[in-house]
Amino acid sequence: MSHMQIELELNGETETFEASKADSLLDVLRANGYTGAKRGCDTGACGFCTVHVDGEPVTSCVTPVAKADGASVETIEGLGEQDDLHPVQQAFVDNTALQCGFCIPGMIMRSTALLDENPDPTEQEVREALSDNLCRCTGYKKIVEAVLDAADRLEGERAVATDGGPQDDADGRMLDSGCPPGRCDCSGGEP
Amino acid sequence: MSDSEKASDLDDGTDSARAEEEKAATSGTVDDAASEPDRKAPDERENITTNAEKDDARKIVTGEARYTADYRDRFPDLAHGKVVRSDIAHGHVESVDTSAAEALEGVDAVITPFDDVVPDKLYSSSGQSYPEPSPWDLTVLREHVRFVGDPVAAVVAEDPETADRAARKVDIEYRELDAVFDPEEAFDEDAPQLFEANEVENKQSGADYSRNLESHFEGEIGDVDAAFENAGDRDNARVIETTWETPYQSHCVPEPHTTIAYTDEDDRHVFITSTQVPFHTRRQIAHLFDVPIRDVRVTKPRIGAGFGSKQEMAIEPIAFALHLAAGRPVKLEMTRREEFTALRFRHPMRMRMKTAVTDDGDIEAMDLDTLSNSGAYGTHGMTVANNVGTKPLPLYPRVPNVRFSGDVVHTNLPMGAAMRGYGAPQGHFAVESHMDEVARRLDLDPIEFRLQNAVREGDLDRSVAILKDGDRFTRKIRSCGIRECVRRGKEAIGYDDLEQPEADHLHRGVGMALIAQGSGVAGKELGAAQVKMNEDGSFHLQVGGVDTGTGADTMFSQIAAEVLGCPPEDVVVIAADTDLTPFDYGAYASSTTYISGRAVKNAAEDAKERLLEWGAKLLDEPPEVLDTGDGRVYSRETGNRASLEEIGYEATYGDDQREHILGDGNHSTDESPPPYGAQFVDVTVNEETGEYDLNKLVFAADCGVAINPALVEGQIEGGEHMSLEYATSGGLSFDDDGNPDVLGFRQYGMPRTTDHPEMETILVETHEPTGPFGAKSIAELPTNGVPPALSNAIRDAVGVRLTELPFTADDVKAALDEQAGGER
Repeated sequence: MSHMQIELELNGETETFEASKADSLLDVLRANGYTGAKRGCDTGACGFCTVHVDGEPVTSCVTPVAKADGASVETIEGLGEQDDLHPVQQAFVDNTALQCGFCIPGMIMRSTALLDENPDPTEQEVREALSDNLCRCTGYKKIVEAVLDAADRLEGERAVATDGGPQDDADGRMLDSGCPPGRCDCSGGEP
Repeated sequence: MSDSEKASDLDDGTDSARAEEEKAATSGTVDDAASEPDRKAPDERENITTNAEKDDARKIVTGEARYTADYRDRFPDLAHGKVVRSDIAHGHVESVDTSAAEALEGVDAVITPFDDVVPDKLYSSSGQSYPEPSPWDLTVLREHVRFVGDPVAAVVAEDPETADRAARKVDIEYRELDAVFDPEEAFDEDAPQLFEANEVENKQSGADYSRNLESHFEGEIGDVDAAFENAGDRDNARVIETTWETPYQSHCVPEPHTTIAYTDEDDRHVFITSTQVPFHTRRQIAHLFDVPIRDVRVTKPRIGAGFGSKQEMAIEPIAFALHLAAGRPVKLEMTRREEFTALRFRHPMRMRMKTAVTDDGDIEAMDLDTLSNSGAYGTHGMTVANNVGTKPLPLYPRVPNVRFSGDVVHTNLPMGAAMRGYGAPQGHFAVESHMDEVARRLDLDPIEFRLQNAVREGDLDRSVAILKDGDRFTRKIRSCGIRECVRRGKEAIGYDDLEQPEADHLHRGVGMALIAQGSGVAGKELGAAQVKMNEDGSFHLQVGGVDTGTGADTMFSQIAAEVLGCPPEDVVVIAADTDLTPFDYGAYASSTTYISGRAVKNAAEDAKERLLEWGAKLLDEPPEVLDTGDGRVYSRETGNRASLEEIGYEATYGDDQREHILGDGNHSTDESPPPYGAQFVDVTVNEETGEYDLNKLVFAADCGVAINPALVEGQIEGGEHMSLEYATSGGLSFDDDGNPDVLGFRQYGMPRTTDHPEMETILVETHEPTGPFGAKSIAELPTNGVPPALSNAIRDAVGVRLTELPFTADDVKAALDEQAGGER
């Protein structure tokens, strides 16, 4: 096995990983503790391992890690935290849009990619965007409802921001300070 | 505290209810559902029927929930396993050359059926109570292979890639035997025989391995043959017979079966594993490897669903043998291809249904026979086939003559096993499509015909009695909302005012199926739980019940909280660890809410008694006037109150005699009250192409009191998803040598977001007096309905009857062409 070093812009931080040439991006992520992306098929057919590479949703199990070298990669670990969820995550929780949860990190990454591109999708557009992500537990109903709900939440936050209220950051999370992102060093705590 | 109930102990006094229902049934209209007695529970609930947040929801959406494979970081010296599987359908292993594999750098060991670490004992992989009714016909690795995918050898290496490479270098030579793939051909005297006498121990009824017969069973109430003869002789009655066929279905379990096996510093063997049955697995591992039960620990982390595929000790023994061979922790993780070719499936079946019925729609006799293809081994073979009749036939409990029989046959194909619904999806397809066909041939409304004969409160539950010739478990149905399910389902689907499409070649129709399931295996269940109080007024709940992703842990916390008078988030659930929690049979047969949930309730009530005693001391009032609620013990007479926190500190650190407030509870019962439902399908059929579009699915469910309705809806919508697949797109196929055509999701027709029609879910509340806070089960019920309801809807739309799942456009077109030919 030939070993190599891979550099990723992972969730905003530059990270270097040891990898084998045959490794997929999923192999390397999971071997280094980023286990939110799940291994469901190793053929790119279930969507459980969906992450963003340079802003595009990809199935990381069929993305050779060599191809991702130098790329910007976003995983579920880079979204919100349990006590500060991203609006899409919050919508999945509030809509009970999850059961066993194995497909959910991939489903959420696919959903955030959709909403970045199309902030106000119709139900049919949500269904089409998620059609490569399988779920065995929910019948998809509450998942589709959660994504539509998340779109409303994000829209609401944007409306507040335009109103001069608190701003949201690139991920759509609220910043408490009311300072424009990137233009202030107050770190978001105190105005 | 424990309670063990016999049906006879609970005389429920539903006579007046029954009289009222009988009146409703005689007039025979659906609207009479309104006259069903008020079954609702007194509305004194704080926690039970709220949509408490699923307790693992936040860690799931942040990717922090840990499934078995995610524990690899806890084991720096973890080795990785890989199974080498048979590529022939039937034969004996002559030799296994492991030298090339063992020579690879990084390979720890290669094991074969001939190695000492691999037991050669027979066992059953079925996660059933002891002794398993399923035959003992497996060995851990197999010298006699019986299907393409049988495990012959296994490799353990320092990384997954090396294990894969080594597995490909294991060279197996076979002596091939003739194989048989059709269950009817397997009966032939000169068909290849799969099992010699010394290769199986089988205590089931009717086994005859010279004919590849794993089980034959039958039971009868009344005299069915006489009833058919009698009906055939009369002008006002007729006998109608139909046949039905169903394919293999894959669980498509999201998380592939995964096990980490290791031995700890106390020389105890530990399994972190994706299982629905930790306690059965512990017992089976102990027996198989001849180690004491106390030295085996089975823990279940989050699991990526089971649906029955993990009601099986499917891979744990191989993982453990690899661990013994390697001398270090081993992870064995199945691939999706193994899930689709080598693990477990829903049994394919052929069924024949026959009824004698009067022109007025009174059923005089029913006869159901099933032929189940068990595949190569018999796990859950007989018991699944039993459910084909014992779940749907009791929908019509007043039919005087009923017979049910079945044969379970081996072929050289993958193993049928437990799958959500457990025989009931096959049975409902036959029974509920047949009932619709009978009504249409008699020119009766299919729904009215069903309700004329359908179950009511006060009827005897025949579910177990059918195969016992009527002499056992003659319990009464105490909760049944089936008429309200039908009434509300009809409204939601628009049954009475369906608009036809304008185009002449498009035809719209609606079909309905009645549905029943059980709540646990009648007479074969045990759940147990313990509650312990923390001094801050919170609790730990230790329960053997297994959350497979359904939200069971959340449901447990809500039940405990309801009794203890605290919010559900103050109950920390520790579940399904054979070292840390009380015993439980596991998550199967829709038993978790009804059995394990009731054990939790009993444990919480036991702890509550102690809370009231301590409250009585603090408040100086008798415990009889006290109750719990709002995080307190309060007096119903004076309004005085003490917080749970005050009680916790006083009991733990007070000056008086101190006590750790604990409660324990068991639940075992002969009861298994059926939940009921009605599935509606609205379809538009293109008569030129045979293509059909589902416009809407409606499922109305009576699961008693719905604990956490949002989670209950999730069960229904997910169950319908599987049922939709079964009806429209699922199934496996094999070539002439038994090689599987379906290797992954790309070849398998699992419905996607874009394949799902609009779905409406209706919860019809009844109160089951034997259930925890009136609850019955929900998990399996909704897997039964779409095939019959869709068959009935297509019949309604274009007049043709589809009898083989799944229904393709070609099938519909062929049936339409045949219909047109017949008319010519």
